[in-house]
Amino acid sequence: MSAALWVALALLAIGLRRLGLGYRPTPFRMLFRHEAAFVEAASDSMFPPGGEIPESGVEAGIPAHVDRYLEAMPARQRLLIHALFLLMEQVTLLFPAPGWGGWRRFSSLTPVQRVAALEGWRSSRLFPRRLAFLALRSILTMGYFSCPSVLRAMELAPLDIRTPVVEADLLYPRAGRPKSEIAFGPKDVTDLLEHPLSPKAPLHPEYRG
Amino acid sequence: MSVPFDGQGEVRVFAGYDRDFREEADVVVVGSGPCGSVAAYELARAGRRVVLVEEGPPVVPEDFVLDGSLSMTRLMREAGLRTTTGSVMPTMQAICLGGASVVNSAMCIRPPGFVFERWCREFELERTAPADLAPHFEAVAEFLGIAPTAREVLGPRNELFARGCDALGYSSEPSPRNVKGCVGSGECFTGCRARAKQSMDISYVPAAMRLGARVLTSLQVQSIRTQGRRATGVEGQVVEPFTGRRSHRFRIDARAVVLAAGCMATPLLLKRSGDLANESGQVGENLQFHPGVSVMGIFPDPTRPSFGATQGYQSLHFLEQGFKLEVLWAPPGVMAVRLPGQGLEYKRWLACMPHAAMFDAIVCCERSSGRVRPRRGGLDPSIQFHLDPVDVRTLQRATHEQVKIFLAAGAHTVLPGVSGLPDTMRSLEEAEILATAELRATQFSAASTHAFCTTRMHGDRGRGVVDETGRCYDHDGLYVVDTGIFPRSPSVNPMYTGMALAHRAAGAIAQEA
Repeated sequence: MSAALWVALALLAIGLRRLGLGYRPTPFRMLFRHEAAFVEAASDSMFPPGGEIPESGVEAGIPAHVDRYLEAMPARQRLLIHALFLLMEQVTLLFPAPGWGGWRRFSSLTPVQRVAALEGWRSSRLFPRRLAFLALRSILTMGYFSCPSVLRAMELAPLDIRTPVVEADLLYPRAGRPKSEIAFGPKDVTDLLEHPLSPKAPLHPEYRG
Repeated sequence: MSVPFDGQGEVRVFAGYDRDFREEADVVVVGSGPCGSVAAYELARAGRRVVLVEEGPPVVPEDFVLDGSLSMTRLMREAGLRTTTGSVMPTMQAICLGGASVVNSAMCIRPPGFVFERWCREFELERTAPADLAPHFEAVAEFLGIAPTAREVLGPRNELFARGCDALGYSSEPSPRNVKGCVGSGECFTGCRARAKQSMDISYVPAAMRLGARVLTSLQVQSIRTQGRRATGVEGQVVEPFTGRRSHRFRIDARAVVLAAGCMATPLLLKRSGDLANESGQVGENLQFHPGVSVMGIFPDPTRPSFGATQGYQSLHFLEQGFKLEVLWAPPGVMAVRLPGQGLEYKRWLACMPHAAMFDAIVCCERSSGRVRPRRGGLDPSIQFHLDPVDVRTLQRATHEQVKIFLAAGAHTVLPGVSGLPDTMRSLEEAEILATAELRATQFSAASTHAFCTTRMHGDRGRGVVDETGRCYDHDGLYVVDTGIFPRSPSVNPMYTGMALAHRAAGAIAQEA
């Protein structure tokens, strides 16, 4: 066997290792193994444990939220998000993180290298890099804020609002449901609320501790 | 109290379609956003048999999701990830009964007279002067109860904006909005749980139904039917809410077809129907946006930013210089994306949010333009847009003015959100770089939901798609009544202008249908 073939086989093995091997199985429906590893690593780099808001990204459930987000998404947009995760996991080959081994895939970098890599994307002079970072930060930050305890810690949890029944509620069922499921009749129509929310109002039930 | 529905009209939802079907009407209105709903109501009021078709489902409070990202996947086209190419910018269009009115901040701003005078002068329009449109604006205002935001629901964010403008001598006022009983939840963008926002699904659409209009939701209109030079109806398929899966076919025959699918979808529909109404070559051209740039400020005292009308205060002070200033709030996760730093530093910034406020400017980029084309392999648009360097200077000026207002209002730190400039500014001297730097479009994180002009009205049929009443020049019985007919930017939030023009168009259509 020629040397060139050996080199090619070695490169193939390294490529396969980088792309697919060494990732743990995941419980997620939409996130592939390499994506779950990337999302977990990026979540805890962007939102490490400690600080003013105790929860880390993983503790706040970002990977599970991203999984739900992908599931709710049309196929074309889902593909774009898959591509974004793949790009950002692997692109350390092109834009290595500082320090030894900075070319390893993102999820294999040290925590310090990951933070440096993310900051490199955020402050890049290249618009597409900044754009990719913004997309990633949007997805992860919205996942972080989906955690009720994070919003409670930030005093931004939504308050409970008494939702009045209006004429339209007699006409439409919930999206995708049959009209037979309309729960209200003319007697249920109520007055609109008249007073602004009080900051002392109870929290929305889904955001209570 | 609302008047209980007496059942004269009809609404059909996805679960009610079990076979292919065909309907007849005097008028079919495509799209239930602000313009389409006004047109449907006015036509029903004129005694016409109206079918209002909407691709999205009706949504009720149980469908509203407070989580910003999941809410967008349900209520926005392309899951809220639609962007322009060229000058890359997110742009969102809603997909539900009531359209944008369900997920916007209810701002109903009437453009100042100079806007319509310029429209008339530059686009050879004879009946679009301020006095011509005044009765239409007033009719819509009366129906929806448009009024300035009540003091009780302003909250600190809006009050700080007012304080900053006052300190600088800039005019400002509470934003006029179509709300009744607003509680200041700041949740306009994910759907009003207090049912205060008079979105079309709870205002004009039920009123149209009381007058006999039939409202068919979850129907995707795929083409306009014609016979010679006359539009005779529409056809398409039933689509499942949120998944977009298509099933049964439908056809609606009508004497008049009124397109109100929005400035992105209407030109696509015309093009997919055999390039209808396009002898002028203007269908899908002339696209304009109001790119928005936002700035965040941190104050010494808590601002309770999640309380207060989402966009309760505004300044028209710089309107003639090309931008309008507003207060802004959105789901906290959306707001936080712009904060600097990584790791614990990012978390420190997040912890500042209870002391934060956000302002934004919508910029009237009249030198910039783009086009809408069908995207290969789907029904979504390919949107090209290019920001002109002169308009970029206006974005820069608008950002600078926002920083000045924050500092005048007492913010100790301002985050201008411009790439390549300092993340924070704490004084007018530090902000001076916004006046002197040579910035590029890509340095701004602009976004826009205001889009118009892709089927513009023009007095010369060789240079426009429709006349002043929305009638297509090239076909009988075919009308456009959405923001695509604006000949250029209205300089302010477009919903109210679109509704007023639809109100006027409905009068003309009723006479002909």
